Amino acid sequence: MITSILLIISWIYILIGIFGIFKFKNLFYRILSSAIIDTVASLTILISLMFYIKDISFILKIILLILFILITNPISNHVIVRSSFLSGITIKKGDNDGNTR
Amino acid sequence: MLLLITLYILALAMLTSIIKLIIGPTIWDRLLALNILSMKTILFLSIYAVYTEQLYLIDIAFSYGIIGFLTITLFSKFIGMGGRQK
Repeated sequence: MITSILLIISWIYILIGIFGIFKFKNLFYRILSSAIIDTVASLTILISLMFYIKDISFILKIILLILFILITNPISNHVIVRSSFLSGITIKKGDNDGNTR
Repeated sequence: MLLLITLYILALAMLTSIIKLIIGPTIWDRLLALNILSMKTILFLSIYAVYTEQLYLIDIAFSYGIIGFLTITLFSKFIGMGGRQK
């Protein structure tokens, strides 16, 4: 029951995250939408797999994988943003219909 | 049944991120698409391990995660230092 609900929630997150990459015109908005939604989709899928299999070693491995994703995914997104900011990409005034401020 | 539909949606997300990796305007868009691709590979392998009941496949997902993280950090450092120009 919990598995079905969490998997159906994760479909919505994955599809919105893919749609957000192609929609925005600025680089930082694309990285923001991708980073947030990707983390939440991976968390919902892995927690739903924890309730599906009743095996203690598999559950421990899933918990290790969740900790690994929670540590490394924000670091890699931050490294991409830092590299692009130091190379001279800034937010222009007219991107995305003036909603930059 | 729900696991199979999730596998199909993950495969569609990987295909669209490959399209983004080809047509991306700047090089950081390609790094972003590579990050999404590595994360979707981890999820695809975890769900496939549960769907076919071969639970040892979760260890290969770990190695794919480590390879993706090292790729992103090293490429970002290399591009931020100036690439092949310096």
